[in-house]
Amino acid sequence: MDSATVKLRLDKVFQDIFDDPSLQITESTTASDIDAWDSLTHIDLIVQVEKEFKIKLSTGEVRGLKDVGDFMTLIAGKAK
Amino acid sequence: MRIALLSDAATQQFIPVLRCLFSENGVTVDFYEGPFDAIELEVVNPASGFYEFKPDVVLLLNSTQALRSRYYEHGIEPEFDRIRRIWDALETNSSCRIIQCNLPLPYDRPFGQFDLKIQSSLYSGTQALNSHIARIAGGRPNVLLCDLEAVASYVGRRNWFDDRLWDMSKTFCNLDHLPLAAQAMVDLVLAGLGRVVKCVVLDLDNTLWGGIVGDLGPFGIQLSAHGDGEAFYRFQKYLLSLKKRGILLAVCSKNDMENAVAPFEQNSGMALKRDDITVFVANWENKADNIRLIRDTLEIGFDSMLFLDDNPFERNLVRKFLPEVIVPELPEDPADYVRTLSELNLFEATSFSAEDVARSALYRQEADRRRAQNSYTDVTEYLKSLDMRIAVARFETRKIGRIAQLFSRSNQFNLTTHRYSEAQCSVMMQNERGCIPLQAILADQFGDHGLISIVVAWPEGDTLRISDWLMSCRVLGRGVEQYLMNHIFSIARDRGLSTVRGEYIPTAKNAMVKDFWARFGFENSSESTWEMDVTRYAPHTVWIREDSSIGENGR
Repeated sequence: MDSATVKLRLDKVFQDIFDDPSLQITESTTASDIDAWDSLTHIDLIVQVEKEFKIKLSTGEVRGLKDVGDFMTLIAGKAK
Repeated sequence: MRIALLSDAATQQFIPVLRCLFSENGVTVDFYEGPFDAIELEVVNPASGFYEFKPDVVLLLNSTQALRSRYYEHGIEPEFDRIRRIWDALETNSSCRIIQCNLPLPYDRPFGQFDLKIQSSLYSGTQALNSHIARIAGGRPNVLLCDLEAVASYVGRRNWFDDRLWDMSKTFCNLDHLPLAAQAMVDLVLAGLGRVVKCVVLDLDNTLWGGIVGDLGPFGIQLSAHGDGEAFYRFQKYLLSLKKRGILLAVCSKNDMENAVAPFEQNSGMALKRDDITVFVANWENKADNIRLIRDTLEIGFDSMLFLDDNPFERNLVRKFLPEVIVPELPEDPADYVRTLSELNLFEATSFSAEDVARSALYRQEADRRRAQNSYTDVTEYLKSLDMRIAVARFETRKIGRIAQLFSRSNQFNLTTHRYSEAQCSVMMQNERGCIPLQAILADQFGDHGLISIVVAWPEGDTLRISDWLMSCRVLGRGVEQYLMNHIFSIARDRGLSTVRGEYIPTAKNAMVKDFWARFGFENSSESTWEMDVTRYAPHTVWIREDSSIGENGR
């Protein structure tokens, strides 16, 4: 999947999870940039991304993520 | 209400789900969420935050995953005593109600199926622990069990467990199933608050048995332990098991009493007998009034009544006029009745005693003594909202099969009960000068009801004679007969006729229409005929509009 599509759909997931329709993510966004992004919303985010992109993420892959850019690369590589 | 949740799993995601479900049920809850994996610490220390919170209810949620971790350290044996010690501590330090979850069985079985024979395996050990929990809870009325294992196995273990979520956040099941787990606990708390179903109100035709008893007779209905009607038999057995545990059964049916009771008294294939029904109401009034009658007779709240009816019209009418009554959607296929009700988990209990067993008989005696007042529900607004449409036309060739079928099967709303063959119906259809054979097709917001009424009229001199009038009882009470009567009189007027003459021939089954003509203001002109001047007829108000486009498909 190309990165523009990933960004578009990932924005929507973030907006849903953080309940903020104006939220826009960038590649350098990290958990410290969004107040409500704690370890639990992180789980909600992972589960929601798996559903949205119909992919499965391993524990190791999730742990290795440094920022949203990493996340997008991971998704783009796995999603069809 | 104050609820504390203690768990050896993380519950931050679970609490909002619980909160939401309680709120949906109108219960305001203050929650206390114990520290992660600190059940024992909280309950043994009388000065803990848990006791300081003074909970009314404590939910003890033990996860299979945490059990697994402890099992690898110490085996299963210490777990048996652990549960008992926790309850003892709680009962010593508090009077709160205890809701203990049992444990979903793990999927890992090192011995394969032989695991069942290894008492020390995690798999066998979890089963034994669940049995142990159930056994010792039996002697403690203050402890209720939440059968999370039943929830998990219904979902399926492979869907229930999500090991990544456990690894990442110590969440005890797949997030998708948190609501089901929460519902099981909420159901128990609500039952503890007295929110229980006390009475199941049952429709008869196509709910308790297949077909219309008024047409088919007590032995013609579908109902048997094998083959056709097995679904209904199974449903009756299920209802009987509810009755045996103290839930009252009532009947609310649009039928003549005699027809409605006949299967209970005569058909040995019925699992339910007349004595199993505490209040039996069969008449042609609207069901909201009849449920009021049942409520007044039993003196229970509407919110403890469950109404089961295969007909969406009746379900929606009851929902509209008695919003507190629980009215679940029933599946199309009666084979799914029991499953649907089981999934809704409507029959929680917090105790079971000899009084429960005897309750049905006690109420029955009381109900027999009592005569409750009938009240009146104005269904006009409801009928308006149905968006009913009717197509009235001369018999059509493509409908002749259905018309002949209706002539042969209708017994109750059938004024003369002539049984015409397809060929005879065709002759009437082709007799364009001498005969007015009308078919009526009804549709509403629930869909197309098909061809539901037939009227055959004959212009004779200055009179319009009605030789046949029949209607499916399913559409009774909606104004279809009033609509058709308006239609008949407008035909008579258009043709310059002065009188409409109706006939009624009594049979064993059509007592419900014996006053049909009199109710419309006709006067008895001979033993079986009734007359009315065309000028005297005032059209009835109806909430059905003409729409010739319906009935193009289907019956």
